[in-house]
Amino acid sequence: MIVIPADPGESRGRAGIQELDRNLDSRFRGNDEIGPATSFNELLRQDNYRERDKVVIRIRNLEKVFLSARGPVRAVQRIDLDVADSEFVVLLGPSGCGKTTTLRCVAGLERPDRGTIEIAGEIVDSVSEGSYVPPDRRNIGMVFQSYAVWPHLTVYDNVVLPLTEGRYRIAKNQVRERVLEVLSLVRLEGLETRPVTDLSGGQQQRVALARAIVTRPTVLLMDEPLSNLDARLRDQMRLELKRITRSVGVTALYVTHDQAEALSLGDRVCVMNEGKILQVGPPQVVYANPSSRFVAEFVGEMNFISAKVIGPAEAESLLGRVRCSVPPACQTGSEVTLAIRPEHLSLSRSRDEYHPAIKGKVVGINYVGDATLFEVEVGGAAIRVKQPGAPVFAVGDPATIVLTQDSWHVYP
Amino acid sequence: MTELALRLFKFPAIRILRISPLVPIALLPMLALAGFILVILWVSFQTGVIGTAQAQYTLDNYRAVFADPLAYSSLLNTLVFATATTLFAMAIGLPIAWLTERTTIGGKPIIYGIMTVGLLIPGIFVAMGWTFIAHPRIGFLNQWLVWLFGLDEGPINIGTPIGMGFVQGLNLAPLAFIFTVQMFRAMNPLLEEAARIAGLSFTATLRRVTLPLATPGILAAGIYIFTVGIATFDIPAVLGLGNRVYLFSTYMFIQTFPQEYVPRYGITASIGTAMIIVALGLTYWYGQVLRRGSRYEVITGKGYRPKPIDPGRWAILCWACIGFYAFIAKLLPVTMIAFVAFSPYVAPPSFDMLSQLSLSNFYRINWELVLRGLRNTITLMVVVPAVVLCVSFCISWLVVRSRSRARYLLEFGAFLPHTLPEVLFAIGALLLALFVLKDFLPLYDTVWLIAIVYVVVRMAFATRAMNGALLQVHRELEEAASVAGLSTLRTAWRVVLPLIRPTMFSVWIWTMLLVYREVTVAVFLTSQNSITLPAIVWSYWNAAGMTEASMVTLLMITLFSPLLVLFWRFGRQGGMASG
Repeated sequence: MIVIPADPGESRGRAGIQELDRNLDSRFRGNDEIGPATSFNELLRQDNYRERDKVVIRIRNLEKVFLSARGPVRAVQRIDLDVADSEFVVLLGPSGCGKTTTLRCVAGLERPDRGTIEIAGEIVDSVSEGSYVPPDRRNIGMVFQSYAVWPHLTVYDNVVLPLTEGRYRIAKNQVRERVLEVLSLVRLEGLETRPVTDLSGGQQQRVALARAIVTRPTVLLMDEPLSNLDARLRDQMRLELKRITRSVGVTALYVTHDQAEALSLGDRVCVMNEGKILQVGPPQVVYANPSSRFVAEFVGEMNFISAKVIGPAEAESLLGRVRCSVPPACQTGSEVTLAIRPEHLSLSRSRDEYHPAIKGKVVGINYVGDATLFEVEVGGAAIRVKQPGAPVFAVGDPATIVLTQDSWHVYP
Repeated sequence: MTELALRLFKFPAIRILRISPLVPIALLPMLALAGFILVILWVSFQTGVIGTAQAQYTLDNYRAVFADPLAYSSLLNTLVFATATTLFAMAIGLPIAWLTERTTIGGKPIIYGIMTVGLLIPGIFVAMGWTFIAHPRIGFLNQWLVWLFGLDEGPINIGTPIGMGFVQGLNLAPLAFIFTVQMFRAMNPLLEEAARIAGLSFTATLRRVTLPLATPGILAAGIYIFTVGIATFDIPAVLGLGNRVYLFSTYMFIQTFPQEYVPRYGITASIGTAMIIVALGLTYWYGQVLRRGSRYEVITGKGYRPKPIDPGRWAILCWACIGFYAFIAKLLPVTMIAFVAFSPYVAPPSFDMLSQLSLSNFYRINWELVLRGLRNTITLMVVVPAVVLCVSFCISWLVVRSRSRARYLLEFGAFLPHTLPEVLFAIGALLLALFVLKDFLPLYDTVWLIAIVYVVVRMAFATRAMNGALLQVHRELEEAASVAGLSTLRTAWRVVLPLIRPTMFSVWIWTMLLVYREVTVAVFLTSQNSITLPAIVWSYWNAAGMTEASMVTLLMITLFSPLLVLFWRFGRQGGMASG
């Protein structure tokens, strides 16, 4: 007894995708002098620039509750998100914030309890209408954290399976060409006949990526794909990932808990916590203007000091009087939290008359090669200061923190 | 979508009940099992003409059983037998397991070979062989001792409960071995090393650390073997029926197939009910002990092995003991069977007898019967493993992959056959065929009734093996296939099945071999058309045709030895623990 109501939008969407494919193919055939890999990228990029304003993923009112032994867990609480064409959006947050659940709902591997999800204009999941398109009919690509490459197949077979057995099959004579094209894109040429279990972690990740993009999906979903790699490899793969998704021009939704990864990869970063979206914006904006205390703390390092508002643009804290932009919600006399990034403070041996400063004592040093993070004790609070280069202070030295204006954030 | 999603009414939309197509297949054996148990309970309360309107519902059957002194002596015999079995099996299996896991003794593959292949030679053959060795009148050992010492009668009697326990203990020693090997592997050797460093001697460590830590594992193995012992039918049938030494299983047999009077199915069913309760109680105890024992298991980290002890000069003695076990448990009985198979009558081996060896028994057996038995056995060996594989795959898939809470019920139902004696299934199937299904599904007197019972019985083990295999296939491998555009069927065919192929093959071979050697159900359900080869051996033996029985046994062993080779080559992966 399998009852799934047919989705009225589905046939329309599929025809649309088939048409796009046909257009690409006809133009592809016309450009004989350009090599396969380049022409494919070129074509997609040209198409994409024209349709940049189109929203490819539209999430509205998404809610998902899990029933666990300890009671209901509200993994995702009524979130809305739009991802534009060719955009790379990163869902960033700590474990349990709902980012993976959101991604899996978009993939169709989880069924939400409320809300709608649209991909390329067609509704793929709507709780109110009772419609649902299963994952194998959504034309998406997905890269899993554990790579999920099929261990009993070779590299070639792993990448070719969607083209020969999936719902987005292509003509038999084009299959080999497409697979080799995609393998050269992820820089795995020459390894087609290797059993995939013989490859290293980074190589297996590239096979997973190749497999995800070989069907030319509308959307590429990635669930913490780099977290199983060691640090050095992670940095290299980050650049590779950026290059590949840029050149293919696919819309990407990426989940991670690593804020450095989010800032470097995303066109827009979406910070989540406890099932809610706290802030969405370009990385520079999220870093420079975190909208809440959680975002400020989660993205990058931040010092927090409690203070009291004493004027329209001034607050009194244990670091002295500080000039900052006070949000209108906080009136004079209210308790607020001041926040400043360690790199916006500096340490010096003595103070000068031009900048406000405060004396303290160095109690901790964390040297990471290109910079040093000092922990300075001031009036009972520990303030972190970041200085480029090797440490010039030792633990126990007195030091003066120089306060920079206009870099303070105020949170109620 | 094979997700068994049972969603409750949740606003704003009403959820649709989605049941996977695998569920009906998975539920079929459960229904059969429920049928067996229910019909036993139903019949146990009836007297008069059972299954008709004239039947009365009383407790008379239970009263008859409780009043029958034979029942009590059977109970006592069963307890003695089961205890003897457990003691003998553990006394042989445990030291060999310790030798294999904790010493540097050489030739470990051979030891494993002896212990695992041993499980496949039917216990009935060992019992037959030991009759020729230690039966008070015809056993050659007794005759030699009488001749040597001038005794009045043979001192060794294999037909007593303790004697039968000895034979079954020999049969089940491999089971004890496998259990305790797993236990030794799970034990944390660091605890023993800490004791040695702290100054305890070898025996003190053994006494104060090793044995207490090993106790839950040993106890669990002991309970399991005890449960198997209580349920045994083939050994007491071969060794005890002749001289009227009854155990519960053979007591049930004579009530069902009596020589002198009408079958008393009501009494059989009431004994069956009592057995169900006892078996469930034992299973519960077994589960409790296992849970307590898992507290002692510590994850020791990658690749840590304990420092094995060098047995030194004791190695030869150990090997002699292992060799002696293999000899008395397999080699000697089978040799005796072969000897009797070619003899004109049963007599102790002597040069005189050797000169009389011939193929006369070969011509004397009823070939029409044997060929019929062969056909039935082969039918079962082909059909049952296929059905078992299919059903256990469905059950395992649902249990491992679905997220509904109903899967725990399915898992329990799948494992239930393991806990109940096979005799019960046979009786249940018989009663079901005779009284419930007789008009609209004539299964009685066909080999298909036996096939159904075999499927239900073998399901527990097959499901357990499949669970292990499916758990190793990470869920994300299927999700990746789904996202890549493969339908569920294609995912199962191209991704899941290739990865669990080794386990499926092992299950197939094991089931086939266990079907070939099965005696209990075959005997209870035997009839003109449904007789199998082991049942033929049994019926010759029961009719005092020992030479013919031995010849058919020899035929069986030779015919199916290629199977053993197949098993040796392919079936040993996957850690098959029990049958």
